[in-house]
Amino acid sequence: MALLQISEPGQSTRAHHHRLAAGIDLGTTNSLIATVRSGEAATLADLEGRHTLPSVVHYKSDSEVVVGHEAKARQAVEPGNVVSSIKRLLGRGLADMDKIKEFSANTLVESDSGMPGVVLENGIQKNPVEVSSDILRTLANRAEEALGGELGGVVITVPAYFDEAQRQATKDSAQLAGLKVLRLLNEPTAAAVAYGLDTGSEGIHAIYDLGGGTFDISILRLQKGVFEVLATGGDSALGGDDFDRAIGQYLVEQAKINSDDRRAHQLAMIKAREVKEALTDTDSVEVDFFDWQGEMSRAQIEEIIAPIVDKTLLSCRRTLKDAGVKVDEVEKVVMVGGSTRVPLVREKVEQYFKVPPLTDIDPDKVVAIGAAIQANVLIGNKSGDDMLLLDVIPLSLGVETMGGLSEKIIPRNTPIPIAKAQEFTTFKDGQTAMAIHVVQGERELVEDCRSLARFELRGIPPMVAGAARIRVTYQLDADGLLQVMAEETTSGVKTDITVKPSYGLNDEQITDMLKSSFSHAEDDMEARMLREQKVEAARVIEAVSAALNENGKELLNDEEYAAIQSALEQLNETAQGESTKAIQDALDFVEKSTNEFASRRMDASIAKALVGHEVDEIDEI
Amino acid sequence: MANAQQNYFELFGLEPNFFIDQNDLSSKLKRLLQSTHPDRHAQGGSQQQMLAMQKTTRLNDAFAVLKDPVKRAQYLLRLVKNIDTTQDHTVNDAEFLMQQLELREELDTITKQKDASELMSFADKIEVRAEQQEDELARLFKQDSWDLDALKISIYKLQFLHKTLRDIELAEDTLLD
Repeated sequence: MALLQISEPGQSTRAHHHRLAAGIDLGTTNSLIATVRSGEAATLADLEGRHTLPSVVHYKSDSEVVVGHEAKARQAVEPGNVVSSIKRLLGRGLADMDKIKEFSANTLVESDSGMPGVVLENGIQKNPVEVSSDILRTLANRAEEALGGELGGVVITVPAYFDEAQRQATKDSAQLAGLKVLRLLNEPTAAAVAYGLDTGSEGIHAIYDLGGGTFDISILRLQKGVFEVLATGGDSALGGDDFDRAIGQYLVEQAKINSDDRRAHQLAMIKAREVKEALTDTDSVEVDFFDWQGEMSRAQIEEIIAPIVDKTLLSCRRTLKDAGVKVDEVEKVVMVGGSTRVPLVREKVEQYFKVPPLTDIDPDKVVAIGAAIQANVLIGNKSGDDMLLLDVIPLSLGVETMGGLSEKIIPRNTPIPIAKAQEFTTFKDGQTAMAIHVVQGERELVEDCRSLARFELRGIPPMVAGAARIRVTYQLDADGLLQVMAEETTSGVKTDITVKPSYGLNDEQITDMLKSSFSHAEDDMEARMLREQKVEAARVIEAVSAALNENGKELLNDEEYAAIQSALEQLNETAQGESTKAIQDALDFVEKSTNEFASRRMDASIAKALVGHEVDEIDEI
Repeated sequence: MANAQQNYFELFGLEPNFFIDQNDLSSKLKRLLQSTHPDRHAQGGSQQQMLAMQKTTRLNDAFAVLKDPVKRAQYLLRLVKNIDTTQDHTVNDAEFLMQQLELREELDTITKQKDASELMSFADKIEVRAEQQEDELARLFKQDSWDLDALKISIYKLQFLHKTLRDIELAEDTLLD
């Protein structure tokens, strides 16, 4: 065992295989993929040198799917076979659809999962998870071609204001695309990472993120590589598209277009976007729209969009309050998202925060770049010794109580991971089951909150009313995803839980979808799985050996040490073979053999953290 | 070390005590999370990741309790005196009960008037009272032998004021909408 380990800061002492990881910004209108190469994070371009991939999918037939610029071009020709802005539907139920106007071109139906299904003119039906998965796969292919190998894992960004159902749907999409999700990362946090690491800037930062379809505001404290989210807020249905819609509405009125002419309304949106973009650099433009010709000035569109910008500032105010931060304590404001190019947005944000907003990193790319940096750390290429992201839950988690009220069990802006336990009792003698409804949102009435899942607790031992004590634990993990566990505490009986997500897929449905998408290439999938298992085995052997070298002798007795070594040898041997199942079993065995060691290692480092602190204090005296 | 039996104070290397340096607590939390956070174990097996999540959850939980004077006081009394002050809400302090009623009525009236500046000055008033009540609670914990009845009442009073502050925030949210 090495007595002294010397290493450059930021470099691991262990030799690593460089593993491929990427950060993906899955956006409403555009998506990007970025990776870290030679220590530099950058977005990847397609063969034509274009970095952004329009989040538009054209389904030509079941087997022919086109994603991106080409699909976007088809939109004008056959809008009925093209899907766009699918992010607005992710994790949503059909009941939410009234608010989502983009989909006028596609017909929506309810599918058996409770998710909306998008029905295309050619008869193909796709759910939002499938459409997102096609976009993710296209990006992953781009990265795998550019990097010359399979991706070991990805970090996918989500709006901070996404609720649990929307996060889960994003993760499901990645799983369907065959991607391993290292972490779901909040978009503003990703932007903060990109800025913070680039400039080494410290203090309170506000990240103002106005995308095509969502608005997020996050308040972070940056200190010695720790990115601590103090509060986050926003509106998951407010974005630059609303500017276009407002301007489009003006055009429609000027041209006196009939209100049920859907095609003309769509064209108005496209024209509105052109006008908006043109007025970013000039003061007025000539507009020609159907029977109306006229001049539009920047002042004119600013008047039209001002109420929308003001709405974002109200969110900022509320979020600052949640963070317990006064507006003059904010040292830097970072602009994220294409819609922050609109001059009025920049002006109003500067007026509000009283500091000029930062736009040094391309607002379109900054999120993907931050995600790539985090992916590189999580995959183990960089020790990332001092970088730590501490995020929060954006919306309160509640449980339905009598009278359709939501009882908050985890308030918004609580750091994650977090768990809360709650005790229930039975109402009737001999009652063996009960239903629980979990919702997310700030409002008092359940019907005003987002329904996340309904749980049925079964197998409660029959007792007189009020005697059973059922303890339900809600665990939110570091991705902001929910797990529920239940136990009857007087008898110690673990209750079965049937989880029915309100709008989403259960594990079985995902497995089915995966199978059907791979059925035409079964051999391919098996070969891929074997390859992945071998890589995994090599990684585990490397990681466990390094851990043993570091403090195995201190934390384990000879017998325990030998048991782990023998499990490793067994894995090494099995990994030379061709059986995916055998390698999996050997991996499971290594994991089982090292659980106790992993736990002791964690405790040892905790103890060291506390002691280290006391040493620091002495130093300061 | 750091097993489930460790209490919240021990997790942070502290003696059970009402008086905690909040800056110190917060920097200790960050140091501990450097070891336990799931991001630090992204390359570990599923058991290790689960363990990391559980330990981090417990640290986050402990931090939330220790930084809040009401929760900290309640936790401390349960730990040291085995008294549960989270359920029992009977306070035989007629004067305080009257004040409570008056404050609720005042908030109701202001909320109905939708007067933001009135609401702000009401919030300021309650904040001052909460600070005074916190000082009172600290004074009680400073005594060599704890007056448990007085502590219970003092915790309850502070809890009520905090609840009122949260209600003011809710009222403010509705004013903003």
